[in-house]
Amino acid sequence: MGKKMNFRIMKLIICFFMLPVLSGCLGARQINDLEIVIGMGVDKEEESGNVLLTAQVVKVDMSGGGAANARGGGGEDSEGYWNVSSKGKSIFEAVRQITHKTGNRLFISHNQAVIFGNDVATEGLQAYIDFFLRAHEMRPTALILVSEKKASEVLDAKPETEKYPAMNIAKLVKTYGFTSHFYEVNMEDFASCMMSDTMAPLAPLVSIVQENDCKEIYISGMAAFKNGKMVGTLNHDEARGVLWVLGKVKSGVIIVPSPNKQGEAILEIIKAKSKVKPGIKDGKIVMHIEIKNEVSLSEQTTTEKLATIEALEKIQEATSEVIRQEVMAAFEKSKDLKADIFGFGEMLHKKYSKEWKSIKDNWDEIYPTIELNIDIESKIIKTDLLKKPVSQNKEEK
Amino acid sequence: MSIEKGKISSQQLLFLIAGFVHGSVLLIDFTVGITEHQTWMVILAGLVITVPVIVSYVALAKRFPGMNLVQINDMVYGRFLGKIISIYYIFFFMMTLSFNIRDVGELYITFLMQDTPFIFLLIVFTATCAFAVAKGVEVLARTSHLFVVTGLFAIISTFILLIDQMDFSNFLPLFELPFIKIFQGIHIVSVIPFGETVVFLMIMGCLNKTEHAVKNTLSGLLVGAVSLFIVAIRNTAVLGRTQTIWTSASFQSIRLINIGTVLTRMDFLIGIAQTILMFLKCSIFLYVTVVAISQLFGLKSYLPLVLPLAGIEVILAATVFQSPVDHATITQNAGIIYSVPLIFVFPPLSLLIAKIRGLPKPERGKGT
Repeated sequence: MGKKMNFRIMKLIICFFMLPVLSGCLGARQINDLEIVIGMGVDKEEESGNVLLTAQVVKVDMSGGGAANARGGGGEDSEGYWNVSSKGKSIFEAVRQITHKTGNRLFISHNQAVIFGNDVATEGLQAYIDFFLRAHEMRPTALILVSEKKASEVLDAKPETEKYPAMNIAKLVKTYGFTSHFYEVNMEDFASCMMSDTMAPLAPLVSIVQENDCKEIYISGMAAFKNGKMVGTLNHDEARGVLWVLGKVKSGVIIVPSPNKQGEAILEIIKAKSKVKPGIKDGKIVMHIEIKNEVSLSEQTTTEKLATIEALEKIQEATSEVIRQEVMAAFEKSKDLKADIFGFGEMLHKKYSKEWKSIKDNWDEIYPTIELNIDIESKIIKTDLLKKPVSQNKEEK
Repeated sequence: MSIEKGKISSQQLLFLIAGFVHGSVLLIDFTVGITEHQTWMVILAGLVITVPVIVSYVALAKRFPGMNLVQINDMVYGRFLGKIISIYYIFFFMMTLSFNIRDVGELYITFLMQDTPFIFLLIVFTATCAFAVAKGVEVLARTSHLFVVTGLFAIISTFILLIDQMDFSNFLPLFELPFIKIFQGIHIVSVIPFGETVVFLMIMGCLNKTEHAVKNTLSGLLVGAVSLFIVAIRNTAVLGRTQTIWTSASFQSIRLINIGTVLTRMDFLIGIAQTILMFLKCSIFLYVTVVAISQLFGLKSYLPLVLPLAGIEVILAATVFQSPVDHATITQNAGIIYSVPLIFVFPPLSLLIAKIRGLPKPERGKGT
């Protein structure tokens, strides 16, 4: 009995000794030791060819609300972030070089967006994207963007309503649904496109405009890549042309001339769906694209009453024509760039895996000869609050 | 007689097998690198191939009730040859166990606990397994229900959370890869998750009733196979062609979960489920190894061997490979070759020899 009790006490003592050892605090880092990165920019230094990395770090005590504001007093140092940059032969070296300035290792789990400068993008992202996919702290859902100029300038442009430029950029990209003029591309999507034999990845393109003394940034379209190198850009309409085909259009504005040509009808896209069926006919590749969309009449600039069956039918036709033009514009652009931004190659690969082997090798020559057979069905499903425009409409019934 | 006194029901066997097969879920990455988007059919083919072999295991266990593999080998092949074959089996158990312990360590060091010393993770994990083994097979069998349910929960919930990111055209074109790759894939799948169930020949002797053993074993195998299948489908549908580049395709697809920017970073789910199921798998392996060795040397109890063997396994696991690269190469190429005779040849052969020689005579005489 006594022996058993002793054994129990021994066990208890051992448990207590194990507590400090097994508390699992190895490698713990407190929040004030972290340099929380919310955005990263990758540029190239012109003379040396080194990587110039800019990391946007949150100032932990500045973003703390009331107390911080009282202390900062709205002085020149009132920004809640710090753009710290460093150079290195590779991204990882640059990331570690930053510790010479910050004293702490960067914590990139909360990284929202990675912005590649124009020079890096045209040189090819192959060499730069690896770190962002391999690093365990990095999330594959981080957005990828291309800057029209230097990436560091984009991170410098201070937004008005948001506190942090990187957060602002991420927000701009994520809300693409309002216009569908570009779409969000994350690391995983981009890597997936880069691994494809033919598909050309796209990434949103950020531009900067100088307004008086403050810079404003906006997304001006999409950058198209081929073999990892940026080969050109798509403007808003061309980018939406791609999205129509891929079925990624969420919402947006379509402007069509009104039936009597005296004004315009402005439509909002409610819903869009697409189906692409590749076909090979007599050795010629035809892509059958079927786009179905539902729109609503959101605005009109003409005095004509548009809420009649005849007028709506005409507007529907005009809408389909606008969409067709957007798709064709995107296709023409992709022919110019020789980049398969629609992923037609992959679609063919999936359906015609036997023929694909011969097509694959001279895809660049075959791609411009592809015929598009576009079938668009537009429906106006509502006219919102008005049945008739505000006008004296004497001649109307 | 056998040195294990515990008894398990055949329903518990079902869950043990299901958890055991399910524990290899992350190991399908060995196959994914080879068979890419056709992994799902490789899993189905592997299952179909292994079913008859596993039926032969159960038939063998039924023929020699209350006996484990080492005793069966002694009886069928004679004392000398039987011992050699048993040593071969023990070698296989020990190596596979060390690979599996290493898998857990690599899982933690790569994804969950970067800075923790590797050997520390191995020691903690193996010590837990050793504790479970010391409690006996009955305890393991009773807890396996819970483990299997946890694992299934993790798999099904992640599948549902990822449904909106799935693109089922990733499975096309259906037949693209050369046959030799598919063959290698089938080989790996039929050995690593399914064929390893040969360890249950050491446990089936503890069954209290052998009536429904075939049905329950196959159901267990099916549950395990379905979870592998769901994972393969999920990874291919979510990741598409990038699934071959990641160290762990499963982890990568879980990392993509993003529901309303709130429900993100669900890695822990798979971390928990995988740790639990690997624990079950490694415990079964450790138990089997310990029992086989003590049976081979005719010990009265296997308990004195548990801790020393666990220590040996930790050292083996820490030193056997230099890196995951080594690990994958050896498993994909050598590991599946040396285990083929143990999984596909000896058990059916034993059954055949036993039939021809009319074994086991003395046991049947005593029993009835």
